[in-house]
Amino acid sequence: MLRQALAKIVQTAAVLLIVSIVSFGVLKLAPGDPVELMLGEEYSKEAHQSLMIQLGLDRPLPEQYVDWLGRFMRGDWGTSFVSRTPIFQYAFVEALPVTLILAAAALGLAILIGVPLGVISAVRKDTAWDAAAAAFALTGSAFPSFYLGILLIWIFGASLGLFPTMGFVPPWRDFWGGLYHLAMPAITLSTPFMALIVRITRANLVETLEQPYIAAARARGEPAWRVIWIHAMRNVLVPLATIVGLQLGTLLHGAVLTETVFSLPGIGRMITDAVLGREYLVVQAGVMMTGCLVIMTNLVVDLSYPVLDPRLRPR
Amino acid sequence: MMIDHKQVLADKLATRFGRRRLLHGAGAAVAVASLPSVSRAADGGHIKLAWIDFVDTLDPHFTSYLGAIKIHNNIYNGLLKVEYDGEKVSFVPDLAESWKLLDDKTHVFKLRSGVKFHDGEICDAEAVKWSVERVWRGQPKSPHAWKYDYLESVEVVDPLTVKLNFKNPYAFLPVALTGSTGRAGTIVPRKAIEKYGKDFGRNPVGTGPFKFVSWKENDSIVLEKNPNYFEPGLPKLDRATFLIMKEASSAVAALLAGRVDGMSNSPLQFINQLKSNPNLTVLGEIEGNYSLMAMNCRRPPFDDINVRRAVGFAIDREALIKQAFFGLGIPAYTPISPPMTGFFDKNIAKSGRGQFFDLEKAKAFRAKAKEQGPIEAVILTSEQGQYGTRVAQTIVPMLDKIGIKAKLELVERAAWISRRNAGEFHMIDMTWSADLDPDETIFPEWHTGNAWNYSGWSNTEFDKLVEQAQIILDVKTRRDLYVKAEDILMDEAPMAILTHMPEFKILTKKVKGFKYTPADSLDLHTVSF
Repeated sequence: MLRQALAKIVQTAAVLLIVSIVSFGVLKLAPGDPVELMLGEEYSKEAHQSLMIQLGLDRPLPEQYVDWLGRFMRGDWGTSFVSRTPIFQYAFVEALPVTLILAAAALGLAILIGVPLGVISAVRKDTAWDAAAAAFALTGSAFPSFYLGILLIWIFGASLGLFPTMGFVPPWRDFWGGLYHLAMPAITLSTPFMALIVRITRANLVETLEQPYIAAARARGEPAWRVIWIHAMRNVLVPLATIVGLQLGTLLHGAVLTETVFSLPGIGRMITDAVLGREYLVVQAGVMMTGCLVIMTNLVVDLSYPVLDPRLRPR
Repeated sequence: MMIDHKQVLADKLATRFGRRRLLHGAGAAVAVASLPSVSRAADGGHIKLAWIDFVDTLDPHFTSYLGAIKIHNNIYNGLLKVEYDGEKVSFVPDLAESWKLLDDKTHVFKLRSGVKFHDGEICDAEAVKWSVERVWRGQPKSPHAWKYDYLESVEVVDPLTVKLNFKNPYAFLPVALTGSTGRAGTIVPRKAIEKYGKDFGRNPVGTGPFKFVSWKENDSIVLEKNPNYFEPGLPKLDRATFLIMKEASSAVAALLAGRVDGMSNSPLQFINQLKSNPNLTVLGEIEGNYSLMAMNCRRPPFDDINVRRAVGFAIDREALIKQAFFGLGIPAYTPISPPMTGFFDKNIAKSGRGQFFDLEKAKAFRAKAKEQGPIEAVILTSEQGQYGTRVAQTIVPMLDKIGIKAKLELVERAAWISRRNAGEFHMIDMTWSADLDPDETIFPEWHTGNAWNYSGWSNTEFDKLVEQAQIILDVKTRRDLYVKAEDILMDEAPMAILTHMPEFKILTKKVKGFKYTPADSLDLHTVSF
């Protein structure tokens, strides 16, 4: 057990190291540098050179990477070139909670609506309910999230004035206010994900409902709700958990657009701005945090299998 | 102030659907019952502006972005400021009480007494001297240091009098000193800068009508009223929040929904929609700017003057304004723009000067070009600013008519800047903006070897004329020099000059007292609800 845990930790560290090298290298190889952007119209070769030296960007690439890695390991995430704010504060303390809350709200919404819709679709197979759920699933997967966000803003924000069009209110300061501000971004981010959950739930449940043990449960006279939610759904949970874990990356990817459209100060927007502004250290911090999130989610999913399926528990 | 959002939403639903229907509708009743309360800043005294411009730093001596300068003007003062009476731009004393020329090289500023920075430090002649020297020869070097190239010394005459001695007459000084476009004459406090060092740009302290409160990355910048501001009765607002929004359509939606009181700017595609909204005031006049298609004179095909001249006359500016600028703009014939009072020729369209659309002339120049076969050229463009890639897209078919097969190369902003600075392009679409003096609009952009002369164009006669114009104060003599310089520039055509454009500020009708100046500024000094 200890050996497995150690192997997992080494594996995780190796993945993060590779990810950090790739992201550092790719961004450095891209044309443009932060100094040119910082100088804007006041660019001159002398000013450029002087600022490059000040920021330590004139050093060889491997030296810059090793320097960053050493500091990062010691907990020093550096300072943003442009904003001069400590990156740990900006990325970890301020931006990460916004994205985590948005992703959690979207995930919660997707599961709370997607699973029952999938169940209805499977139980009422080949009826109007099923067709409606299929239509929703197809539309939801096909609809670009940024477009859905803009539509929601224009209909429910600008035209009807029912929901805020922008901004983030921390739920730990004002719980209901936080949810109110999160409603439209969470719907935007969760829709494609919800559609996927509907499809996965339906497909697996339809298959499960044809199993002999379900027929046996029905023959025993168990109520329909119990047959579906207790006996059948248990078999759907494992593929569902796998999909949820695998799709976290997609959810973070969607957060980039959702945060931009709704002006939420989260990691997605932070990374986008940092990439466009060549803020190497901010990008690195963002990549490491999202990398850790994806790895940790996969770990949680791995650990959840024995809980969800007794056959996978160690004997 | 905490307000009850249940009530707000109930009211909004009632307005939209009718109170009776709302109260009887089960769905709506559930919606209202489950609505949250959310903290929201009070109106009346608190202006919220959607800020779609980039803000790099709040240190006025180190910024390079107009989006930041618009905010700086509310935190800081300069020795002079820009005023506009609807027709004429003038430069008047701001922190100074009076501004006199002892001779044509010596400027004396008598300062207002009792002015303090937000941290309590006195703003006197010593503070002005220190501030000017910080830009002029401070370390790290300010990107605006070149604006004091002709400065010889700064003298403190008495605690409220400061003297700037120049090596020669310096016509650009009023613009260099104003906080709006010059940035070099903005006065900052020594103690705060020594305290914060490089982080002063995140902890700004000025003498202006508003004090800095906070800057949350990608979220907002908040200022509050400076109760000790030296202009009596100002500012009228208690608080100003600049909500940083990257997506312009979201900012427009927020404005239409009444979530914000104004926008710092707007992409042109939204302007007509915003103008048609009865609750909004859209302010925007032709400002000191020009859009252009720069051509790289260092490499083929645009090292051939006749190819460049052909391009200059092949572009139909009227069509370009309709298609790329949504009808918002005027054709530019030369760089000097309408707000440059005393220099702009109101009859330039009829004068025959500069560049304009004349396909026959363009074809005649093309016929003189060394390369008579089809010419291939790449336009380097980026999705940025108010116009995006529309200018480049619209020009391509126009160039086709003179045998230039232009292709667009769309790159992201960082790559665009990098390649522009390195001169790695055939053609590049650009804009020069917020200029109030011909020197600013011509010298750094086209003088030989200057950092902004991306085309790599060089002409010694032009150089002499613009150098001469810098050290002459008489407006008429300067104007004559600039006319000659512009004629050379437009004839040799390192660029095809395109348009002069309005810059927009959008405010809701409840915002009162905003004074518009054509310097792309958004001063909140006199604003109230």
